[in-house]
Amino acid sequence: MKSAPTLPSAFLEPAGEYLPGPLLALRKQRGTALVDMPLPTRKTENWKYSSRHLKLSDELAASLPSCGKEGSSLSMPGYRVVFRNGVMIPEASDFPDIDGIRIQRFCDLNDEDAAALAERLDNTLDSGAVQMARLNSARFEDGLFIQLDKEAVLDQPLFIIHEVTASSVGSAYPRIYVDAARHSQMTLVEEYISSGNEPVMVNTVTEFVLAEGAQMTAVRLTVEGESVQHIGATGVRQAASSRFESHCVGFGGPLRRHDLQVRLEGEGAECKLNGVVVTQGKQHYDNHTSIEHVAAHCDSEETYRNIAADESHAIFNGRIHIHQDAQKSNANMSNKNLLLSTGAEIDTKPELEIYADDVKCAHGATIGQLDKTSLFYLVSRGIGRREANTLLTMAFINELVEQIPVEAVRDTVQLRLNDFFNQTFQEV
Amino acid sequence: MLSIKNLHASVGGEEILKGINLEIKAGEVHAIMGPNGSGKSTLSQVLAGSETFEVTEGEVTLNGENLLELETEERAREGIFLAFQYPVEIPGVSNLQFLRTAVNAMRKHRGEPEMNAAEFMKLAKEVSKQVDLDPAFLKRGVNEGFSGGEKKRNEILQALLLQPKLAILDETDSGLDIDALHVVSDGVNALRADDRAILMVTHYQRLLNHIVPDYVHVLAGGRIVKSGGRELAHELEERGYGWLGVKEEEAAE
Repeated sequence: MKSAPTLPSAFLEPAGEYLPGPLLALRKQRGTALVDMPLPTRKTENWKYSSRHLKLSDELAASLPSCGKEGSSLSMPGYRVVFRNGVMIPEASDFPDIDGIRIQRFCDLNDEDAAALAERLDNTLDSGAVQMARLNSARFEDGLFIQLDKEAVLDQPLFIIHEVTASSVGSAYPRIYVDAARHSQMTLVEEYISSGNEPVMVNTVTEFVLAEGAQMTAVRLTVEGESVQHIGATGVRQAASSRFESHCVGFGGPLRRHDLQVRLEGEGAECKLNGVVVTQGKQHYDNHTSIEHVAAHCDSEETYRNIAADESHAIFNGRIHIHQDAQKSNANMSNKNLLLSTGAEIDTKPELEIYADDVKCAHGATIGQLDKTSLFYLVSRGIGRREANTLLTMAFINELVEQIPVEAVRDTVQLRLNDFFNQTFQEV
Repeated sequence: MLSIKNLHASVGGEEILKGINLEIKAGEVHAIMGPNGSGKSTLSQVLAGSETFEVTEGEVTLNGENLLELETEERAREGIFLAFQYPVEIPGVSNLQFLRTAVNAMRKHRGEPEMNAAEFMKLAKEVSKQVDLDPAFLKRGVNEGFSGGEKKRNEILQALLLQPKLAILDETDSGLDIDALHVVSDGVNALRADDRAILMVTHYQRLLNHIVPDYVHVLAGGRIVKSGGRELAHELEERGYGWLGVKEEEAAE
């Protein structure tokens, strides 16, 4: 019998020489642990639908050069940090000095801060469930360390533009760590974009640690091109009375994977996770979310919508784990799916594990097509087929798009959706 | 304006319309009455272009143009309007957006400039008042959570905005209390014009006290079995359908 494929050794070549010592040491340590790491296969439950799209060749292991042009689609009315192939570009970045808020690239950290950060990285994600996040830890070459002091409030969204230059074959490992002290607040927008058409892999990890009463809004927009495999993970830990709000909007590609793991560890913590996925052609998008109700009296609300056209494939796997001591937990999960063609596939799986006895936990999943009666009603008023289909499809996700709290993101999403509708729907 | 000749239509292989003949001229108001299951709603839906039904025989022309060859949206742009018996609820699409998209589709078809949001809002508010619908309903999802009467008023609102050549009203009086009936009737009467025809489909004579038709037809078993003036409606009210050889609940529903 053929043995399971392992991570090509080329992915573990030494690099990262610009990192401060403690982070370089962490990187090496993680790399050593990944020697002969088995890659997910069809039999790996959480990669069941996506393992065949994961293509890690030796060539892909090459680090991408951190140069090229900048090309975000967002017009940003806030602060901005640009990363190219996982390395920060200071001259394209623009953020002010604000009292109580430190935004530093990993490469600029002194040894003391770097040592403190190295201690804390990789503590938000369950490494058993998010295997690929470890590869990021073994490969990152830079990153962004955001620290909010007690009660610090960032007055405008911080945009982090992650561009990958797919003009040569290789991979990039963007990394973000956010430490929000008590009652601090910020809105962080991550946009993943690409230029060029060569096969590349982007492997991201973003971590949020929220102290008591901290409020974080995280917007994640994935709009990379057709040659980009994107494997991302976001880990969140929440102390008492903190609030985490996530808006993930993703357009498909050869492989798009996002793991979002939230741990509600202090009483009264709450999270709201919204997600919209749109796929077409032969694209593939796989969202895995996990919410751990560790402490009592926490609320979680999760709403994901998938739209799959042509022969594309979208996956939603939503896990809710309510620990034994998490009494009075309130968890709500909704996943609705829209198939726009008979060749498209959507798989949805709620995974509920409930060990406390006094909880409210609701979940619902549906898969459907556009309603013919509604379509007839619209066209009977003279509205063209394309527009009628567009209105009905938008109706399916409108609520989630409108909730994105950053106008520039809503505008970009709408433009991308318009392209999608124009390609998907035809006039008769 | 509308000419229907020997129209046959079926659903799932079962013939519902079995040879309808009807001529409607501009400026006229026609009422089609008949027992449940006689094919009244089918006729409305077929004229509007529903894909549920298959036309197997016959022809329909609107101002000389073959209607049956047109898609639903093309029929609407040529001036056909169907006020639905059961208006569809579409959460997530605001009524205002829906109405403006429809009005602009018509304007584009006529080569007129599209109305911007502000212009349209003003117009929509005026017409809302005409059908006694709170403008707050414009902001809600299309028919979402509307009562039966509100849905019917929303249908008439659409007719007033779209100014069709032929308005087909399918059981527009069903589910209306007497006040709503007055509002809806006033709206329909406001549509009456020399260059417009109205076809009312109804089970009851009640609506015809408020919207007085020029002609009344009795549809039974998929055919028009009797035609007359407005006095025919009163006769039906008094005598039922039995004297025409039609059983009240003749068709299986």
